[in-house]
Amino acid sequence: MSTKKHKVLVANRGEIAIRIIQACVSLGLDFVCVYTRADEGSGHLALARQLGGPEAAYRVSSYHDANELLAVADHAGATAIHPGYGFFAEDFRFARRVAERKRGLIFIGPSWRIIRTLGDKINTKRLARSLSIPTVPGSDRPVYDEMEAEEIAETLFAFQAEQGIANSVVLVKASAGGGGMGIEEIYDIEQFKTVYRRIRNYAKRQFHDEGVLIEQRIFDFNHLEVQIVADRTGTGIVHFGTRNCTIQSTGRQKRVEIAPGFRPEEIAYAFDAAKLLDDITGYSLAMAREVGYDNVGTWEWIVSPTGQPFLMEVNTRIQVENGVSAAISRIKGKGDVNIIAEQIRLGLGEPMGYDQSDVTFEGVGIEYRVIAEDPANRFTPWVGRIDQFLAPNLPYARLHTHIPMDAPYEIPTEYDPNLALAIIWGKDLAEAKKRGTDYLDELTLSGADGTGAEMKTNIRYLREKTATILQF
Amino acid sequence: MEIEKRVVDLTDRLSYIKDIFGGRENANVALMQARLDEFAVREREASPGERAQMVRQIEDLFDFLEKKLDDELVPMDMVRIVRHPARISLKDILENVYDNYTEIGGQDEYSIDPSMLIARAYITRRQGDKVVNQPVMVIGQEKGHGQEFRNGGSVKPWGNAKALQYMKVAETERIPIHSYVFTPGAFPVEDYPGAAQQIARNLYEMGGLRVPVVSVISEGGSGGAEAIGLSDVRMMLSRGYYSVISPEGAAAIEAGIRQGQRVAPELIAECAKRLNITAADNLRMGYIDKVLEEPALGTRPHHYDFFKTLRQEMIQATDQVFLGIAGFKLFRALVASRRKGGDPESMFVRWTLDEDAADRLVWKRYCKYRRMAETAFRDGRPSGERIASRAKSLVWSGYSFIRYDFLGKHTKTLAKAASDLEAELRLVAHKLTAPLRRQDKNAPVVCDPEKSRMLTELSQPEQGACLEEFGWRYVSPKAAEDRAVTCPGAKTYGCPDLWAPDLYGDFAGVCVNCGHHFPMEYEWVLGNVFDAESIVEYDNDIEAGNPLDYPGFEDKLDAAKKKTGRKSGCVSLDAKIDGIKLVSTVLYSAFRGGSVGAAEGEKFIRALARARRKHYPFLAYVHGTAGIRIQESLNGLIQMPRVTLAVRRYIEAGGLYVVLYDTNSYAGPVASFLGCSPYQFAVRSANIGFAGPGVIKETTGVDIPPDYHQAHNALARGHIQGIWDRREIRKNLKQVLLTIGGRNLYYR
Repeated sequence: MSTKKHKVLVANRGEIAIRIIQACVSLGLDFVCVYTRADEGSGHLALARQLGGPEAAYRVSSYHDANELLAVADHAGATAIHPGYGFFAEDFRFARRVAERKRGLIFIGPSWRIIRTLGDKINTKRLARSLSIPTVPGSDRPVYDEMEAEEIAETLFAFQAEQGIANSVVLVKASAGGGGMGIEEIYDIEQFKTVYRRIRNYAKRQFHDEGVLIEQRIFDFNHLEVQIVADRTGTGIVHFGTRNCTIQSTGRQKRVEIAPGFRPEEIAYAFDAAKLLDDITGYSLAMAREVGYDNVGTWEWIVSPTGQPFLMEVNTRIQVENGVSAAISRIKGKGDVNIIAEQIRLGLGEPMGYDQSDVTFEGVGIEYRVIAEDPANRFTPWVGRIDQFLAPNLPYARLHTHIPMDAPYEIPTEYDPNLALAIIWGKDLAEAKKRGTDYLDELTLSGADGTGAEMKTNIRYLREKTATILQF
Repeated sequence: MEIEKRVVDLTDRLSYIKDIFGGRENANVALMQARLDEFAVREREASPGERAQMVRQIEDLFDFLEKKLDDELVPMDMVRIVRHPARISLKDILENVYDNYTEIGGQDEYSIDPSMLIARAYITRRQGDKVVNQPVMVIGQEKGHGQEFRNGGSVKPWGNAKALQYMKVAETERIPIHSYVFTPGAFPVEDYPGAAQQIARNLYEMGGLRVPVVSVISEGGSGGAEAIGLSDVRMMLSRGYYSVISPEGAAAIEAGIRQGQRVAPELIAECAKRLNITAADNLRMGYIDKVLEEPALGTRPHHYDFFKTLRQEMIQATDQVFLGIAGFKLFRALVASRRKGGDPESMFVRWTLDEDAADRLVWKRYCKYRRMAETAFRDGRPSGERIASRAKSLVWSGYSFIRYDFLGKHTKTLAKAASDLEAELRLVAHKLTAPLRRQDKNAPVVCDPEKSRMLTELSQPEQGACLEEFGWRYVSPKAAEDRAVTCPGAKTYGCPDLWAPDLYGDFAGVCVNCGHHFPMEYEWVLGNVFDAESIVEYDNDIEAGNPLDYPGFEDKLDAAKKKTGRKSGCVSLDAKIDGIKLVSTVLYSAFRGGSVGAAEGEKFIRALARARRKHYPFLAYVHGTAGIRIQESLNGLIQMPRVTLAVRRYIEAGGLYVVLYDTNSYAGPVASFLGCSPYQFAVRSANIGFAGPGVIKETTGVDIPPDYHQAHNALARGHIQGIWDRREIRKNLKQVLLTIGGRNLYYR
């Protein structure tokens, strides 16, 4: 550890705040955390008070108020800020402000320039292409010229036909858009002009930018991730394996994550899955080296049914599902890997201390996101009071949660209704699946909302989905 | 009875004198008062004959002393004379100068704006035995001897609109216009239209009126006077004033007075003197052509002799204008110019003109104004350079004629023919090769590898992997501070506090949540709107001066020059926007509030001439202007019509004149050469109007809402044509350059 004793401001809530606090304690660091009025019953506050005393927690009006967070950091004498995930985690402006203000702090995450570069999907795509890393076929910059756009769309149809794709679909999206706004599919080049003009005019009116992107639409893909960990030198870069996050809610929110991404030892795939995993980790590492990546991050890939990978985006932060990669990883043969602790350690400037050959993988990990929601009804969030929360205590399972086990808990309406992360490990897929189902069977959550209606959770949904995991 | 009436008359005369001397101690006034008092005591025991004798004596004394007092008048007294209800009004003139008239556009309080009076009038003249009625359009402000509804001659925008309408009527009817200026200033309301907007329209249209305009100024208050004062012959009554601002206003600014406080009368009088507002001053500076000598202590309605003089002067002035441009004049012009004191009605001039004469008239008007205020700024260039630059501009004129007017036409014709021919040939070729292009529909689709590379590989690798979309070329120094800025929209829209480096750096001073625009310095636009390295400044040696030797102003100018590192409040430059060359002038608020004086006006006119010669589009970027520089008085005020005429000339030559307002833009410039543009845009931070809130409160007593002048209201009033986001100025300007503007731009 560096000579100076650091104090980390935990600028987040819930499960990740708890994980960060625990990691800090395990690294021998001081910490200070923040909470809002709505979160007064949250486990992260109780843990902070228990481990750090009454001075270890400040109440703020919002987790998203940079001024307040920095004022807390200054008052508490913090030297570093951990943003967790969500909130400020991928906000390069916050990272820059933290680093460049008069009383500079360490932002535990990649440096702001990297967040800025990789936070932009078009830039990410161009960067990938410049390294010959496969990306979704289509334009890699906003197109402003109608004739050029039509040519790209035309070629894209021909390209798909050549690949033997029966029903070619081309996406036209507003380059400044996002969140599903300003995006349309076309099935035939004859439709192009109408749709292009509609999207262009929409983009012009909505985003004041006429640029459109034209891309191939890929169907029935699997969603894979590569966990990258790097030190501040930007040269010590290792990966912690792959994850498969294909099981998602209707709103494209992940529900079950499995490490590793595929399991060719136990499941037969239509393509060479082992090679694919090697490819995407190789590509991810190459790109991380190119930009001098200097903390943890995730390279997100989609894999087509024919086994072609395409880079989607890079998440320049720690992810919810970091624990599942840690569960199957061994550093120099030792288990009990904690990627959050690694992130803090490396973020504060320590050297890596090991290289890729020291990182090995063993078994299969499954992470379940236990959420109060109704999967039968488009995953509508459920809000109310949890009266009983019982989880089995098993050696192969870990549960990360901010819900107190010993007292009723009111789910705050302000934040996402994520309740707990259950991570199961098995020596192979069959065992992991078996243990996962068993675990979910024993997990008890009950409560009632304001009208007295019974609590809704996704436990049954998770259990059903376990049967088919890692199958393509 | 007779005696009593004369005594009342004398008492009135004395109280008038006291009024115009404003309570100033004066031995002569005291003497007059003493004699009147003495008469009041003695008249009781005097016989009627003695009384008559005494009254005659006092009358003689009054006549004598009034002449003496007339010499003692100070500028502030002139102001009091023209404001006095006893002062002649336009109706007196209509009744006594013209032979017959009909008021149009309403009468008395039943009028669109009772303070603006318009009449079709006749001047009846004889030519031999023939009687000729020569019609004129009389336009002027009516003060109505203090009638409440006349609003003191302070004309509302719709009054000026009415004036403009009848000027156009006169133009259609081809009759000359006589305008009489009796206004303390325009009524500063923003309505539909706003004051500034309407005055600018008036000025622009008057610049091109194809009939002679003769004006007489009695009370020439700033913008209100200019609204009808742009004319071919400008005369002024000798006891009138003509100024950029009322002395009270100047004094309030001078003393830095806040609302509700009062200014010392001595300072007001001092300012009246400093501003050089009298007829004699204005004649000396060349802003009027002639002073019409008034009776002692100012004309009142009973001065019938003066009306006769005025009639003759008006006829003579109108004659002169017509003769100056007429095709056939011979001796009459000679006589007209030499005639002194004689009866101008002895000679007849027909008040009509043909198209050529009208062209000459408009051109002469332009030249007349172009020559004004030419010495009111400092030209720092050595004389050799001045001659060289004049020669260069001549060469450019010649080149521009050959390049655009002569060759340009033929090139276009040739290009048209060539493109027609090419289209014909293509069609033939297409038909001939049709059988060869027929394809087998069942053949497997093959993607052109060259094209499919475009889908999977880096496009335009020369641009680098990461597209540079972050950051601005010029970054405000405010972005270097480590502090958080609270957005004024925080309460309403819940905007987060903004970190200064983000706000003034990447966000270009715009709140990302609500779009509030924080003010930025003008260098931001220079640095980020125009192409890199494309800016070439010129005319930097034209330096703002102090033509009236206004005390203390030299220091203030020096301070402004030191602060900004520039010599005037206007930067003229050639620049490019995405390769399109343009001429631009920047008025920036850091230099004396962006006020416009002779130097700024001159730079504007030269830049316009440059753009006209080179067939470049023209962008007036207004980073705030507080109005006309009052310390230059008329030297500044005259820039309103002067630059407007130059703008008109540029627009008529087929140019594209775009105005872009940023921050606060008020008063004179907006009410003239900026407001007359058909294409005015504003950045969201702009406030646009005629007078600021303080002045409106002071002159009208009305409290205005805080968003009264904001860009969105200016847009609603039709003053501006669009509101732009600061981050999109460059893009929008490019769009404007491509889509707006006439055939005479070089890139068309």
